[in-house]
Amino acid sequence: MRKASMRVLLVSVALLVASCSGAAGGGGGTSGDIGAAPAKDADLTLTVYSKFADREYREVTATLETIRKKFPNIKINHQGNQDDDKLTQSIQAGNPPDVAISFYTDNLGNWCHNGAFQDLQPYIDRDRTDVNVIPQAVRDYTSYQGKRCAMPLLADIFGFYYNKDMFAAAGLPGPPKTTDDIIEYSRKLTRFAPDGSIEVAGFLPSMPFYGNLAEVWAPSFGAKYLNAEGKSGLAGSKQWQELFEFQKKLVDFYGKEKLERFKAGLGDEYSPDNAFHKGKIAMMFDGEFRTAFLADQAPSVNYGTAPAPMSPSNASMYGGGLVTGTIIAIPKGVKNPGASWELIKHMTLDTDAIVQLSNGIKNMPTTADSITSPNLQVNEQFRTFLDIYSSGKLVAKPSTAIGDAHLKAVNDFAEKWIAGTETDLRAGLKKVDDQINDALAQK
Amino acid sequence: MTTATATPRRTSGGSPVVVRRKTNWNRILYWVATHSLGVALGLMFTLPVIFVLLTAFMRSDQAMTASWWPREWHFENFVEVFDRAPMVTYLINSLTYSLLATLGILVSAIPAAYALAKLKWRGQTWAFMAVVAAMMLPPQVVIVPLFDMWVRMGLTGTLVPLIAPYFLFDAFSIFLLRQFFLTIPKDYLDAARIDGCSEWQVLTRVLVPMARPGIAAAAMFCFLFTWNDYFGPLLYTGEARDHWTLSLAIASFRGMHHVEWNLTMAATVLTMLPAIVLFVFAQKSFVKGITFTGVKG
Amino acid sequence: MTATLRPTGTDPSPAPATGLARVRSRRRWVVLGFMAPAIVGFLVFFGYPLVATVYFSFTKYDLINAPVWIGFGNYVRMFTTEPLVGTAAYNTLWLVIVLTVCRVVFALGVASVISRLRRGLGLIRTLCYLPALAPPAAATLVFVFVFNPEFGPVNRFLRAIGIDGGLWFNDPAMSKPSLTLLVLWGSGELMIIILAALLDVPQEQYESASLDGAGPARRFWHITLPSISPVLLFGVVNSMIFALQFFTQAVVAGAAAAGTADVAGNTKYIGNPQNSTLTYPVWLYVQGFRYSNMGYAAAMAVLLFIVSFAFTAILVRQLRRASHVEEAA
Repeated sequence: MRKASMRVLLVSVALLVASCSGAAGGGGGTSGDIGAAPAKDADLTLTVYSKFADREYREVTATLETIRKKFPNIKINHQGNQDDDKLTQSIQAGNPPDVAISFYTDNLGNWCHNGAFQDLQPYIDRDRTDVNVIPQAVRDYTSYQGKRCAMPLLADIFGFYYNKDMFAAAGLPGPPKTTDDIIEYSRKLTRFAPDGSIEVAGFLPSMPFYGNLAEVWAPSFGAKYLNAEGKSGLAGSKQWQELFEFQKKLVDFYGKEKLERFKAGLGDEYSPDNAFHKGKIAMMFDGEFRTAFLADQAPSVNYGTAPAPMSPSNASMYGGGLVTGTIIAIPKGVKNPGASWELIKHMTLDTDAIVQLSNGIKNMPTTADSITSPNLQVNEQFRTFLDIYSSGKLVAKPSTAIGDAHLKAVNDFAEKWIAGTETDLRAGLKKVDDQINDALAQK
Repeated sequence: MTTATATPRRTSGGSPVVVRRKTNWNRILYWVATHSLGVALGLMFTLPVIFVLLTAFMRSDQAMTASWWPREWHFENFVEVFDRAPMVTYLINSLTYSLLATLGILVSAIPAAYALAKLKWRGQTWAFMAVVAAMMLPPQVVIVPLFDMWVRMGLTGTLVPLIAPYFLFDAFSIFLLRQFFLTIPKDYLDAARIDGCSEWQVLTRVLVPMARPGIAAAAMFCFLFTWNDYFGPLLYTGEARDHWTLSLAIASFRGMHHVEWNLTMAATVLTMLPAIVLFVFAQKSFVKGITFTGVKG
Repeated sequence: MTATLRPTGTDPSPAPATGLARVRSRRRWVVLGFMAPAIVGFLVFFGYPLVATVYFSFTKYDLINAPVWIGFGNYVRMFTTEPLVGTAAYNTLWLVIVLTVCRVVFALGVASVISRLRRGLGLIRTLCYLPALAPPAAATLVFVFVFNPEFGPVNRFLRAIGIDGGLWFNDPAMSKPSLTLLVLWGSGELMIIILAALLDVPQEQYESASLDGAGPARRFWHITLPSISPVLLFGVVNSMIFALQFFTQAVVAGAAAAGTADVAGNTKYIGNPQNSTLTYPVWLYVQGFRYSNMGYAAAMAVLLFIVSFAFTAILVRQLRRASHVEEAA
């Protein structure tokens, strides 16, 4: 018995070693050998993974199939509902899709870092593709440490939404321009019930909640995650302190218990019960996609959009805002990377394809030509976001190899800060720094 | 054995005879108290399930909002679930997974549990310890090497990695069956041995028929666990849509920014139905099965 | 071993001993035959992954590239610089203790109420089992919704009778108790096992005890409990495992309380509120699969295994004692 188990143990160790070498090899995609473009009449099927579902899935599939204008015999096998975890698994299993679409930019740094996504630069160089038609900030969040391993598949711009009727009733002429305005306007817009509970809130400072995420607020204060050495430097940052002091002022205005209770009664972010749809909050940060939800779920809400308000010390950045978006890439280990690249190029640089997709799923077009395209369907509220996009003041989240660990750390602190369990701002942010630096040290 | 306890079983566990004889009034009060408590418990357990059912009939824009009685009844949600996803394929996959896994534990766990419960051998305690240890290890611990192993075998994207383990080693079933087997008196087995039965015959001709209710219970737990298993199918068949199970398919009614709650709940109801039917039918043998353990105390 | 190899004819020792040896050897093969699939399965699905996990725990491994040996780095990190592993361990320990006790006591309580029913037993039993049949993720979402502090039916009902209901899943102090309630709601499996055991306690024992003048408490303590103790012990083991592996419900409940149902691919709402629902297996999964620190996740797994094994050892001792009692009965 004992002998037998010893032998099995040895066998397992042998298997283990085999597994390690197996994991190391597999799949080409080093910058040296790049896939040739397929022939014009190439007859092949490209598998695409994305997390789109239902209506959006159909729109994306229709746009993917416009590749046939260039390659009539290419077939598209688009599989929706594949999240980042599944994508990683498929790459690990050596059975990746030909093209990968991820909803988040958070994992890009990691995939770039460990080679799960292939470097696209050789293709760009070979085809003399001009990626400068895409704004700098967007190019930044689709690359990691100068390595381009993804392209932007439309973008998301975060701006400010406000309820015009409620503003009129409170005698406010237009959207707030500074974060101080947000506080002042909130005092005017908030209504308390006789028992003291909140009935309508001007602006909700709870975090993380809806669009109230550290990464969405940070550009308004000019707050940065990483310092010059690539380390987390929140504790020494005046901007982060300003951000949390702004938040604290609002929390104190409402009272933290009342706020918690009010927040808990608000509906799901993407359901028709969203607090802004229901007139429970008068102002909020959110992405351009909210315009589509409002049109669909709450067409009677009379609202306006504006660039995100800036902190007084960051006023010069007014007109800009956070940009993030869906990314598209070639995973490690695909059989025909040349064909994958053609599809990516088509989806991210072909004006017609971008405009079709943008009209379909109401996300921001990414190239200079597509933004000004006459075929782009734009209403007044969406126009704001196009203006922010072309403002030249876009801010992107940093690409790191630690996923969204830094975002989680900051949001975690924000929760404690609001609850009052953490009262020393500097010491609290120091802990956040330690946590992020610990995560960074793993890479 | 079973027949001896079958008679008094209907009477309650605690109601003492003395009270019963004292006054009728007390008895009625007791009856009313226990039964209203029972009904309250039943309601408490059922309310959220009713909520699932109600949501399944709503329009998408009412689902998961503060109003929880359907404004209109959309019976066609259930039809739409079938239009939207290949539910029949998923149903077949779920059945394949659950039925084969159940068959698997019958083949593999019964002999092992027998050896652990009814035979004396050196290392038995250690073997039992190993079974319990294996059960205590969260699945997250073993998935990475196992996933790697199945990748190298080229079997990810199929149902094989899900089913195969049940034909060899399922700690939970072995543990449960062992507990059942322990309650069966040794005398029956010894009698069979004296009659010249081999251990295999003792197992198949004496123990299995006697422990049939317990085996039914173990089989049902296995069926229900695999039926609702989300983690396993997600890991191994996540990228291969043709091999998805019902529990995994429910998640497919989630969009980028929006969850279609009415359809999700309709799919949930459809997934629960086979399990409920199975439970109602199996209830008798199932409960009788566990009864066996109680007898021995 | 040697005894079995000796040919019987030339054996000078008395015949009975040889017979015994032969029986022993035959039994050894029988045992081996019966246990063979389990042994193979154990080695492949438990032994091999465990060895591999121990190996990974000494490496830096991102799942894509080959593991790189880093010695005890992951273990050092676990006990020094990584702040959330402690929180996760605390939450899981909390669940192991509270959840195990509550689940067993609650299942026992409900089962004993149901066991006193004369009418509708089958129906009520089915109703109580219903939540256990629902897919865990869907069941959790619905449960969190029912406990919504503002418009959930529970707080509405409490408000109607003049009680100010709490924040439930939105309050870091109440989120784990709320999760416990969720688990109790879905504990039909254990309830039914205990119910069956209760119904089977021989009635005569109660009657004779009553005649001896024993009150309900004494009857429960001296008759009911001893009779169903093996089943209760099963319940304890089962609940403990459940608590150690608590995963899906924690993730879904945390996100649902934050007002979103989207949990795939990001970690923003994991552990919400204030990491009070961040369980050990959840953090292990996040480290391994979201942050690609599989080596660190493996080290966490090894630690968890060692602790689980300690639990196991204690439990097995209890189980053995119980099974001796069973055999003696």
